[in-house]
Amino acid sequence: MQGFRSQYAMAIAALLVFTAINYLIPLVGSATIDFALTSGVLPGVTPAKAAPEAVLSSVLVSWMGGADLVRNHLWLPALVMVGLTVLAGVFSYLKGRFAAQASDGIARRLKDRLYDHLQRLPTRYHDHAETGDLIQRCTSDVETLRMALSTQVVDISNAILLLLTALPLMLLLDGRMTAISFVLVVPIVLFGYIYVGRVKHLFREVDEAEGQVTRVVQENLTGLRVVRAFGRQSFEINKFAKPNQLYRDRSLRLLRLMAWYWSTSDLIVLIQQGIVLIAGAWFISQGTLSVGTLFAFIMFLNMLLWPVRQMGRTLTDLGKATVALNRMGEILSEAEESKREPAGVHPNPFRGGIEARDLVFDHDGKSAALNGISFTVRPGETLAILGPSGSGKSTIMHLLLRLYDYRSGSIRLDGQELTTLDRQWVRSQFSVVMQEPFLFSKTIGENIRLGREGAAKEEIQEAARLADIHDTINTFTAEYGTLVGERGVTLSGGQRQRVALARALLRETPVLLLDDALSAVDAETETNILHALRSRHGQRTTLVIAHRLSTLAHADRVIVLDKGRIIQEGRPEDLLKQEGLYRRLWTIQNAAQQEILDNERPVAATSAAPAASAALASASAHASATPASTPVPASR
Amino acid sequence: MKNEPQEDVFSEKLDLKLWGRVFRHALPYKKLLTPLAIAAVGIALCDASFALITRWTVDAVAQQQQVNLWPYATVYFVAALALSIGVWMFINAAGGLSNNMSHDIRQECFKKLQELEFAYFDHRPTGWLISRLTSDCDKLARIIAWGTLDVLWAVCLVFMIAVVMVVLQPLLGLLVLSVVPPLVWVSAVFQKKLLLSSRETRKYNSMITASYAEELQGLRTTKSLVRENENQREFEVLSTHMYGVSIQNALQSAVYIPIVLTLGSVAAGIALWRGGADVMSGTLSLGTLVAFIFYAGQFFNPINQIAQTLVQMQGAQAAGERVLSLLATMPEIRDHEEVCARLHLWDRADRPAELAPDGYEREIRSVAFDHVDFSYQTGEPVLKDFNLKVEAGQTIALVGASGGGKSTIVNLAARFYEPTGGRILVNGRDLRDRSLEWYHSNLGIVLQGPHLFSGSVRENIRYGRLDATDAEVEAAARSVNADSFIRALEKGYDTDVGEGGNRLSTGQKQLVSFARALLADPRIFIMDEATSSIDTETEQLIQQGLKAIFHGRISFVIAHRLSTIRGADRILVIEKGRILESGTHDELMVARGHYHALYTQQFRNEQVEHMLDVGVLSA
Repeated sequence: MQGFRSQYAMAIAALLVFTAINYLIPLVGSATIDFALTSGVLPGVTPAKAAPEAVLSSVLVSWMGGADLVRNHLWLPALVMVGLTVLAGVFSYLKGRFAAQASDGIARRLKDRLYDHLQRLPTRYHDHAETGDLIQRCTSDVETLRMALSTQVVDISNAILLLLTALPLMLLLDGRMTAISFVLVVPIVLFGYIYVGRVKHLFREVDEAEGQVTRVVQENLTGLRVVRAFGRQSFEINKFAKPNQLYRDRSLRLLRLMAWYWSTSDLIVLIQQGIVLIAGAWFISQGTLSVGTLFAFIMFLNMLLWPVRQMGRTLTDLGKATVALNRMGEILSEAEESKREPAGVHPNPFRGGIEARDLVFDHDGKSAALNGISFTVRPGETLAILGPSGSGKSTIMHLLLRLYDYRSGSIRLDGQELTTLDRQWVRSQFSVVMQEPFLFSKTIGENIRLGREGAAKEEIQEAARLADIHDTINTFTAEYGTLVGERGVTLSGGQRQRVALARALLRETPVLLLDDALSAVDAETETNILHALRSRHGQRTTLVIAHRLSTLAHADRVIVLDKGRIIQEGRPEDLLKQEGLYRRLWTIQNAAQQEILDNERPVAATSAAPAASAALASASAHASATPASTPVPASR
Repeated sequence: MKNEPQEDVFSEKLDLKLWGRVFRHALPYKKLLTPLAIAAVGIALCDASFALITRWTVDAVAQQQQVNLWPYATVYFVAALALSIGVWMFINAAGGLSNNMSHDIRQECFKKLQELEFAYFDHRPTGWLISRLTSDCDKLARIIAWGTLDVLWAVCLVFMIAVVMVVLQPLLGLLVLSVVPPLVWVSAVFQKKLLLSSRETRKYNSMITASYAEELQGLRTTKSLVRENENQREFEVLSTHMYGVSIQNALQSAVYIPIVLTLGSVAAGIALWRGGADVMSGTLSLGTLVAFIFYAGQFFNPINQIAQTLVQMQGAQAAGERVLSLLATMPEIRDHEEVCARLHLWDRADRPAELAPDGYEREIRSVAFDHVDFSYQTGEPVLKDFNLKVEAGQTIALVGASGGGKSTIVNLAARFYEPTGGRILVNGRDLRDRSLEWYHSNLGIVLQGPHLFSGSVRENIRYGRLDATDAEVEAAARSVNADSFIRALEKGYDTDVGEGGNRLSTGQKQLVSFARALLADPRIFIMDEATSSIDTETEQLIQQGLKAIFHGRISFVIAHRLSTIRGADRILVIEKGRILESGTHDELMVARGHYHALYTQQFRNEQVEHMLDVGVLSA
């Protein structure tokens, strides 16, 4: 709230003036009635009118030019009344303006801070956090707080100010009437308190029931085909009826409670006003109170009781705002990724040499994702990583980017230990394309430009051409200006990968990381892209995860991972000579069609497998086992 | 674009016919309408009478010295009690009406959604439909119930105050009433401004929400591109815009209230000025003057309410149109009159067991496509002159590139869509002459993304046949090899699968959906890419169960997996809505055409996939 104190102070100051003027307005009426209209008695003449209230009223009347003038020019007090209301209006406007600036300002700053904090929290935090929950905290929780700050906080200060200013004034006018005016205020406040306690859980229950309604509709619509396929429409209608009724019934329960609260509090307020009226009338009949004073008391009470009656709602909303504030606090108190590391001076310029020694990493104490990995990539070299899913391939990429920090071992960039280097500097040395790349909901051109701010149009198109996506982009109506995502074109997996590749190529960093980045692109296009890359960017260090031979064969060296360990390592041509994953892959992908046909028959697989493809036979053991269980009309 | 969160256009004209139709949904609650009207009029009466009671009391004590105040106190208390009873009544009546109405409209909408054909859903995103059923229904019901009440109360109150003032002192009354027209005008203008600017705020708010969502989804990309600062700058532009429109909204209401209050004080000033003169000349009592000043301040609230309700009705008109048009949409795929007549005719106990509810034979022996053409609402033709006949016991596999029309064929066979030309025949009879409900109850379908409903595993399997016993449910699970994994779950068959079944793996969900289909014991079984998204291990389990499922039924299978395709009685290679090749696996392999090419490619893919799935050391 720092920085908005002055605005709040001004809002409350404006409110104070507004309140003061609001008290004057009924007094103008009361003074006019008492001194100008009532039997022509002049102020200060009768001893009965020498009471303090008369002093105030007579000041007002004399301020308007004296009783005689007022009596002869009744438009004067009328004009004063309108004038005061306009003045009060100005201050009411100022109050609204300052309160809005303060509360909206706080809300904006909170949103900005939350946004920035979230993107600087470590990856580990986001692995566990639920996206929907975080978004709710950043949007509807902030909104709840804003509402509380703009209305409830002002309402409460308003009520307190009203009370503080009204009390001396009322005491000044008439002590007995003041006491009578507050007889029922304590019961109203207590009543509000009890109501808040009871209504809180009802609100939650209604929200829950509404959530259930939404969930059933959502499930029904996403499972539409299943519903229709089994002809379960009437079953679904009955299923929906349950939460729908629950929602209605709970809302009605909440309503009944609200009906009791509002009607009872109205009754108490009205009785309070009635007591003042009747008591005032009695005092008048006794000759100890003027009609004008009674009039003023009735007006005061109208102003005072209204905020008190709102207590129930105000307290409920403030309770919600406190919860919202705590939920936001939980996010903001999480520690950000360390920004600067003290020790290391980064290699300048970084040439792209990477050396990993005995890397060990696990995700939160689960079984090790990497279990002692060592490899060296010289500047300009291409290293391919091959291995089954879950073997730790992507983890290596994540460690290089410092998305996670390794448990033990070391990674050196041109000899500098990675963990001693500034995270942002490290990340700016790599270009990455992930298997399921993320594109922002911007235009295609802007998405590519994210690789390097300020890149020229020609450079963007050049990168797109290199990634073999330029021609596809040109088929869209708005070409590079086409929006990506829901509001624009929906790109296929292969197209997304290639746009992401263009983005990465535009970066021109010393190291390129391709994490199964072209898996959705067909083999021929991939080969073209890799050839183009090689001829244009031969000097770039590249780490590539892939299982296509065409990609692997481009590498200077290949490492084969399994369960977090390197089980084979060497040049592609050397690996071909060894028994292992690489050779099996090679055999399958290069097997002649006839061999496949031969292997496809279960009987033939064991007896007639060519000696040269023994590996193929073992790799296809599974595929050839299945037909045995399905009826193959082999005889036809 | 269609997916963009739609904001309603603001209707300049109030469509009373539309609101009349919405109001029809309130008619079943006549019992609530009466107390609602009584409460509105009663509260207005009480509100108007307090000033009169005050006037009466003040006049009484001002004129004589010793007054018995008890009658005044009693009248006041009765009025106060009547008012609070009125408040209690109106909250209950209006709230009850609003909740019941939205409940009913929601239920009707949901029912309608169950009847509408798939084509209706093709162009309407789930989120869009959900907000029709939630926020739109609530909004309409609230406006009808609370709006009616507010307008009724407000009109009564203004009318009564006007009558009382004119009766008490005609000239002064008319003078005070002269502020009403400007008050109405100012209120209408500002209420509209406020509605529009609060909409603008909501629009920015949803953009901010989308921005947070994108931040969280693209987190790793942001980090690896080191774009935190740029993102922050872009976000701040958005949050500053939001700040601007939100402040604008606040300023509008900050201006509005003082203007209205000033108009009220003008009325009070007039009362004091002209009324004061009358008091001095003795033609007006002091109490009446006090009452006039009170009344002058009382106009604001009711007029504000009327303006607000009318503006809200204008703003919600689009929502009303959407909900009513949803309710008015007739499903295009439905039982035609003739079929309904037959259903009615055969709805009796002595219907022979071999007849379906529509009076034709129950047994499905064949399904045939007879010169079928099909195109989706907007696009080019998907199928053209398509012919195919499938007999009971046959399994047809459909293969070919995506977008070729495989899913369309299956959707037509399931009567999820209807052909735009030609016919689909069941036992030689046009499918449109048969009961839709009966036909759908004969279908069993397993889709690529298996969808389960939240609830236990048992409930999900039983979805296939609602009256199945536990033993039958478990038997179905056993025959598709799902039993062992289900028993290994925390609570076995009673394990909650979570929303959309997401506590289970895709493979497990698929096994459950197979069990569900088997339990339904369908005559026609359809598998749409059901095995392509699951791992090798689960696929092996399913393969064994499939044989049991296919046996004796008419089966349509769309698949990539070789093991699924190979077992089919007939394989159709579909491209651009036509059958390119047709025959058994062996015949097509010998022919060395498209199927041969597809097959060899897929064979390689599966082997690589298998190798990488199983792991290196264990292979």
